[in-house]
Amino acid sequence: MFRIWILTVVVYFGFFPSSEAKDYNASLFGIKSDGITLNTGSIQKAVDFISEQGGGRLMFYVGRYLTGTVILKSNVTIHLEEGAVLVGVPVIYDYFHNGDFVSILYGENLENVSVTGKGVIMGNGNALLAAITEQVKNGYIQKATSSVAPGLIQLKDCKNVLLSGVILRSSLGEAIRLDKNTGITMKGITIENAGLPGAGLLLAGNSSLVVADSYFHTSGKEIIYAGKNQDVRIENTKNSTGRKLK
Amino acid sequence: MRKIQWIITGLLVCLSTGFALAKDYDAHTFGVRGDGITVNTASIQYAIDYISGHGGGRLVFTVGTYRTGSIYLKSDVTLHIEPGATLMSTTNPFDFVKDKDVNWMAMIFAKHQTNVGITGKGVIDGRGFETANNMTNYIQRGVFADSLLWDRAREPNRPQNIYFRECKNVTIKDITLKDPAGWNQTYDQCVNILVDGIKVDAKSYWNNDGIDIVDCDSVVIRNSYFDAADDVICFKSHDATKICQNILVENCVGRSSANGLKFGTVSRGGFKNVVARNLTFFDTYRSAITFAAADGGTVENIVVDGVRAVNTGNAIYLRIADRWSKGKQPVMKDIIIKNVYVEIPAGKPDAGYPYEGPVEDLPRNISPSGIVGLPGHPIENVTLENIELVYPGGGDPFYAKVGLTPEELDGIPEMPQSYPEFSQFKELPAWGFYIRHADGIKFKNVILRAEKKDYRAAIVLDDVKNASFSEMKIEEPGKEKDDLKDKIFPYKSENISIK
Repeated sequence: MFRIWILTVVVYFGFFPSSEAKDYNASLFGIKSDGITLNTGSIQKAVDFISEQGGGRLMFYVGRYLTGTVILKSNVTIHLEEGAVLVGVPVIYDYFHNGDFVSILYGENLENVSVTGKGVIMGNGNALLAAITEQVKNGYIQKATSSVAPGLIQLKDCKNVLLSGVILRSSLGEAIRLDKNTGITMKGITIENAGLPGAGLLLAGNSSLVVADSYFHTSGKEIIYAGKNQDVRIENTKNSTGRKLK
Repeated sequence: MRKIQWIITGLLVCLSTGFALAKDYDAHTFGVRGDGITVNTASIQYAIDYISGHGGGRLVFTVGTYRTGSIYLKSDVTLHIEPGATLMSTTNPFDFVKDKDVNWMAMIFAKHQTNVGITGKGVIDGRGFETANNMTNYIQRGVFADSLLWDRAREPNRPQNIYFRECKNVTIKDITLKDPAGWNQTYDQCVNILVDGIKVDAKSYWNNDGIDIVDCDSVVIRNSYFDAADDVICFKSHDATKICQNILVENCVGRSSANGLKFGTVSRGGFKNVVARNLTFFDTYRSAITFAAADGGTVENIVVDGVRAVNTGNAIYLRIADRWSKGKQPVMKDIIIKNVYVEIPAGKPDAGYPYEGPVEDLPRNISPSGIVGLPGHPIENVTLENIELVYPGGGDPFYAKVGLTPEELDGIPEMPQSYPEFSQFKELPAWGFYIRHADGIKFKNVILRAEKKDYRAAIVLDDVKNASFSEMKIEEPGKEKDDLKDKIFPYKSENISIK
């Protein structure tokens, strides 16, 4: 009986960490929806602040929110309401973090990370590709272009991840890249990335992953498995030809 | 004095040989855009890191407006801002880093770097009024933690234009620095600094200083123009174990709603070996020349030669105080001030200025210059030579009065823990000079002129030892006796010679 009670507590607090946490509107932090203002600093401030306050949802309502890489924090949910678009800035160095090029949303060593809502994250992949090509030509980036390509969501060594509902578009790199995470739920995700090289989902060394009710339309591979992934379930998820993904 | 001249010559040689020719990189080639909209922080940073890692050079900004948040300058990199180019703040406080080591926000940081510079006839624009007000807004919303001193964000939470810490061989040349949100440019514990031909236009928000040099060694500031809301050329000593030393300031012009040439207020370590020459100040609210040993520091071996200040609230204020000394003994000695002309107005010198200096310490008639130590800590060995100070006079005893009786003179407070400011004692019994707790004061060819009759003495000495006044001229209309000895009033003083 006691064990069941413990399990209940773990399940409740473990899997629904942010359900009762506070909501913070983007405008509180001066985040602008005009598609022109670069909001990286303000979104980062918001994520840091919400995490320091014990967690909650950062709410984006209808509008276009231009940003470079935002470093996610534990217990913070990025919530994109229908019509809200997180737009990746087409400047490659805005994704340069600790010597590497990373995705728009990037998290490392976190717990309880969520991206939810029916909004969009779009990567401006073609413009980014042009920017990278130019920088490689100028000699300022020595790496191969493909290893520089930022994606949309990238998580590493995180526990308890929820990606739900969002639409992911025009990613130059893999739309979602997951390395060594534990306990990942992806449901109702739409990836529309035709015409760009980026794969839909790259999985490397994760355990306990469920992808459900999702749709992948990509020119690259829908799902790339790299390294050992344990306990992966892909359910009711199709590509644009109607093929069930595995 | 020859020692100082020698040091300065050495300094100039060091500074002029510090830079080798290096490669130029057009900022555009890194994808940096001068469209006034693109926030270039990340690209500029990448460019600086790249250039520093590839043998050094100049990152060149051609005509355009380049928006940015905080960037860190690295060794062997010069930001070169061409005429017509502006490096401009985004006005978003969250685009700025509050650096963990220096605990301050800035647009251009450099820490522990060698051979760094900012050059070119372009502009660095902090858009400080907007940035500061945006910050206040976030503080009021509870998004940014700050206790809002005097209803403004505390100084470290308002971005400066430039903050260099522990750098070697710093060149700041030709640029215009505009409107920071707080202090303007700080060089803290740096060695070998050349500031040459810059323009400062900084009147956007409180604490907009012209330039702040903190605990630096080997500094040349010259050929520059400053128009600043707060102190113009300001030296500070934040660290009791450090000192600001080997300094040359020359050929500068300044306007300020605070002080012209200021050493202090924070003065924990002190200031040593300073030559300041050929300086002009105008429309300046507080003192043209002021030195403070307020926090246990030592001020010594100072030469100020050639200052012209018009429409300036006070000429000279030397002060020992005891605010944050923590047992350290403050010292101020061996100061020569010569070839100085100052006109002090009856009205407010900075009237109409954005961020006007606050009218303080009323009621008082126009304050005299001051040399004011503390009991047991006299200001020692000060020479004033070829000085002409023009005062409005007209001190009105019905408005404020401190006379020459022992009760009145002893009633002037010592105020050791107060902020040292020429007006701090409110009314004083002199219109020209008030000198207290000093030893070894030499006035030679000093002209004090009051334009109207004043109820006060020209000079009051209190607890002064070994003072000589020679070739003096004190002019004041309407005095019955025209005797110098009647105009200089010694009290509790010894060995005073008036010739």
